[in-house]
Amino acid sequence: MAHPQAMQPARPPRTRTARPKAPDYLRPRMLSYLLFDATGIVYLLAGLVVLRAVFALASGPAAWQAFVADLHHPGYVAFHLLTFVSAVFVGVRFFRLFPKAQPARIGPLRPPPRPLIHAMLYAVWIAVTAFVVAAMVGVIP
Amino acid sequence: MRKLLLQLEPVIWLLFGQGILIGTLLLTGWGLVLGVLLPLGMVPEEALSYDRALRVGGSLLGRLVLLGLAALPLWKEAHHLRSLSIDFGGAERDVWIAPLLYAIAALGSLLALVAVFRIPFPG
Repeated sequence: MAHPQAMQPARPPRTRTARPKAPDYLRPRMLSYLLFDATGIVYLLAGLVVLRAVFALASGPAAWQAFVADLHHPGYVAFHLLTFVSAVFVGVRFFRLFPKAQPARIGPLRPPPRPLIHAMLYAVWIAVTAFVVAAMVGVIP
Repeated sequence: MRKLLLQLEPVIWLLFGQGILIGTLLLTGWGLVLGVLLPLGMVPEEALSYDRALRVGGSLLGRLVLLGLAALPLWKEAHHLRSLSIDFGGAERDVWIAPLLYAIAALGSLLALVAVFRIPFPG
């Protein structure tokens, strides 16, 4: 009868774990991931602009008019265009991941099918955007 | 500090999750109006007048939306810039980067809360 460990290699094999190395930052998937994270800078600045708007609204008509005048400056317009593009990029990527991140079940309940979750997120996104636009351009009095 | 961050992680993740979800839902319309419709001349002057802004922004719903717009994106920013910092600089400096970024988000949120309460009630 053969020894139970007769087939064991003489020396322990080398681990198959890959050596740590810097990622290839220029690969499309890596670039997309980095861009997703980098939108944090835009979100930070956008939050600060809204903060300024709220303080201006709280401070009175003169401060508010100064803020509105600044909104027409090309720098502000370009930044808000970037904010819009960033929000769309984040939304498309995040809403694609969101259904996959749901738990398989919570107690007796199962989540709806992934395409349905995806569609619901887009419906809410469009509705909230339409509401914000309507409130800001004066459609909602 | 690392232990505190780990203890606060559920709260941080909750705010980050809301920042990316609600922040994105709200910022899309904000950016669309101020970055596209305003330069195209599609936003009437009276829509941005102080009286109307006070009427819309001073309502309960308006205050909630403004609070969400100002505070929640800061939590998305904090978490993603932390992640970016780790990707480019390693985890060692996370000891001071993470508290700094979350402190900015917390301070901004606090300021947003104060500012929203300071908005006068529309007459």
